[in-house]
Amino acid sequence: MTATALRPWLGPILILLAWESLAHLFASAFVLAAPSAIINYLFDNTALMTRALGVTLTNAAAGFVIGNAAAILLAGLAITLPRSENMIRALALVIFCLPLVATGPILRILFGPGTGPQITLAALAVYYTTLIPLLVGLRAVPSDWLDLVRSYGRGRMTALIRVRAMAALPYLVAGLQIAAPAAFLGAMVGEFTGAERGMGVLTIRAMRDMNIEMTWALATLATVVAVLAYLAIGLAARAVLTEEPPVILAAPATGKRAPHKNLAMVALSTAAILALWWGGLEALNLSSFFAKRPGDLIDALFLAPDAADTRAALSSALRETLVFLFPGYLAGLLTGASLAMALVMAPSLANTTMPLAIALRSVPIITTAPLVVLLLGRGATGTIALIAIMVFFPTLIACLHGLRQAPGRATEVMRSYAASPAAVLRYVRIPAMLPAFFAAARINVPASVLAVTVVEWLATGNGLGSLMALSASLSDYDMLWSAVVLTTLLSVIGYGLVGLIERRVLSTYAPEQLA
Amino acid sequence: MNRPTGLSRRTLLATGAGALGAASLGLSPRGALAQNTVNFQLSWLHSTQFAGSYIAQDRGFWAERGLTVALQPGGPNAPVEPPVVSGTALMGISAADYTAAAVSEGAPFKIIGVAMQNNPFAIASLSANPVNQPSDMEGMRIGMALANTPVLQALCTINDVDFDAIEIIPTQYSPQPLVAGEVDCLLCWATDLPVAMTVQGVENTTMLMADHGYAVHSQTYIVTEDSLANRRDEIVALMAGEVAGWNAYREDTEAATDLTLAMFPDAGLDRETQLLQAERQVPLMFSDLTDANGFGWWTDDTVAANIETLGLLEREVTPDLWDRSILEEVHGA
Repeated sequence: MTATALRPWLGPILILLAWESLAHLFASAFVLAAPSAIINYLFDNTALMTRALGVTLTNAAAGFVIGNAAAILLAGLAITLPRSENMIRALALVIFCLPLVATGPILRILFGPGTGPQITLAALAVYYTTLIPLLVGLRAVPSDWLDLVRSYGRGRMTALIRVRAMAALPYLVAGLQIAAPAAFLGAMVGEFTGAERGMGVLTIRAMRDMNIEMTWALATLATVVAVLAYLAIGLAARAVLTEEPPVILAAPATGKRAPHKNLAMVALSTAAILALWWGGLEALNLSSFFAKRPGDLIDALFLAPDAADTRAALSSALRETLVFLFPGYLAGLLTGASLAMALVMAPSLANTTMPLAIALRSVPIITTAPLVVLLLGRGATGTIALIAIMVFFPTLIACLHGLRQAPGRATEVMRSYAASPAAVLRYVRIPAMLPAFFAAARINVPASVLAVTVVEWLATGNGLGSLMALSASLSDYDMLWSAVVLTTLLSVIGYGLVGLIERRVLSTYAPEQLA
Repeated sequence: MNRPTGLSRRTLLATGAGALGAASLGLSPRGALAQNTVNFQLSWLHSTQFAGSYIAQDRGFWAERGLTVALQPGGPNAPVEPPVVSGTALMGISAADYTAAAVSEGAPFKIIGVAMQNNPFAIASLSANPVNQPSDMEGMRIGMALANTPVLQALCTINDVDFDAIEIIPTQYSPQPLVAGEVDCLLCWATDLPVAMTVQGVENTTMLMADHGYAVHSQTYIVTEDSLANRRDEIVALMAGEVAGWNAYREDTEAATDLTLAMFPDAGLDRETQLLQAERQVPLMFSDLTDANGFGWWTDDTVAANIETLGLLEREVTPDLWDRSILEEVHGA
């Protein structure tokens, strides 16, 4: 092999070597397993690992299909009945923001023994990131095509199937790619609710037994599978599609609307959610010992003799969570955006960086959470780093896409004036990147809340994540449901705030996105 | 986090709904116990922690009593109380403190058997810097879930240890922070994290809290009051099989371990770890009291000791949380 052929491998090989030697250096701390030890473990336990992978992968695949099918149905509904779109968006966002820690046990009760919770959590983890790009894609149709359908006397359904669906295909692929690792994580967390087999079960076992080789082998296997799924969907898409899949993670914030209409929408959605919550629990006839209704929470938070204590516990947990959430979220956004700019300036870096970035994002957080905390300490650094990891990859992908979309003519004009690459970046590419950046920033709000609560639950033992786990074990379901509402509100409000900032910024730099 | 007990409106509502839910399940016909399938909710993943139940399953101790039992594993996100309250599981494995908490929130539970006479909570430390008695903890950093702060407080109160002289560091449930030197000791079960350290070759010292006055029944069998009244025959059969299974377990922990590994090949169990755990839980489950009266037994005295410790944990309970009638029937007392 020539030196140039070797070059792309140089980075990964150096990383593996460094990893191997670090692992041997810190063997007595039981933190890091060497790559050689991981491979050894996988060879010695091939049968066990294959069976576990098969179980989790099957559940993840079922959840992936169900979740994405639901997203496609909802998107179709929203396009055929445009009036329902805002309500569908609002409900979909709220359901997506429900914390895993709390939905798991409820799903176990609903489904009883079996794989119900695993599949449902996988489906819940994927449907939103497919729904949102689809809603954009179904609209990304030249209006004269729709006029054509109408001139043939056909209705909305024909337009949906013949025109819109085709236009939306690339957007669907973008959603499916992000969905693959998410489905796997959902299926693993589902196993925490009481399962006999699977990668999640083995992960718990490995951590309890302080079996570092097993822990790292599981994390490696999960990462490889998630990366392969990501690449396979990309390859399949390239075979079917004529153009590169777009990476629009979320639709731009909706255009100008009178404030009172927005308020009315919020009120209507809140009413619908409360009705669904109460009606759902009543219809399923769930015991109010653990299935708390909205009224129970009002009682617990405002009327009960210990209401002040409950509120104090919630607000102190919220503060603990926010302290990590903000820096982690911002660090993830900044790292993602800066890396994207670096890659555009020096494209040769992409060979090493992209596989690493995909891998980092695909490692299931439940296996990495304790590991990262072990490596970086249980202070702020570990938690913040984990949130940043969750946030940075979608940001990177979205920003790369945005940067490359810079109008060719503007770039050429800059070049002809001998503008430096840095100037092109500053005046052309960054403004072109902003819509994609904000789309990523919004969808990352729920992702970062998920990350912080999982880390708190599994590793650091404070904040809302820990409060939820703790109240479930003490049968304090008023507290659990209150924490669920608070966590969900945190995601939804954060999502809304980023949308507000987005509209301010885009109205200056990219007004066409708000049309 | 500790709520005042007493009968609030919520408690009444919850009890009512729980009882209704269970009653609707009680309607199904159950004449001659013709191979009814009942769910038995375990408190953790499959392991030798429940090996007595596996023996009961394997040797047909339940089948011969006309009962088909499905053992439902627990997990880190699988609380035991909801399936028992909702009737999905006829019986569950809890602990006196968790049961007391659930009852104060309106769950109509009774403890009908006590698998762990001695509470498995322990302080684990490295043998180079050991905790042999509670006062050794003063000036140390302890790694534990913050949720267990009342447990540590109770231990300190019972043994006149200065609670404020111990630094609590919230950690995940793993021996790793101790091994890496982040903390000096851990609050954990004597049967899991210390076993993991021993198997990994880390020399460690375990101080069982039950040896220092911490009296809380653990691995307790819970059922709802409604099941106790309406599904008595099934509960008696379930407990009788359980008692026979654990007696066989005590005879041969090695066979019990092998059975566990054979029944759950996908659980990723390590034989050495599982066997050591199986051996270490024998003295927690069997005592002079159980030798004299049978597996799962308790007396008014042990209940009184429990109520006292639970009081330190701010759990107010009365002796009627425990109902010995099922065990009396099983042991023919």
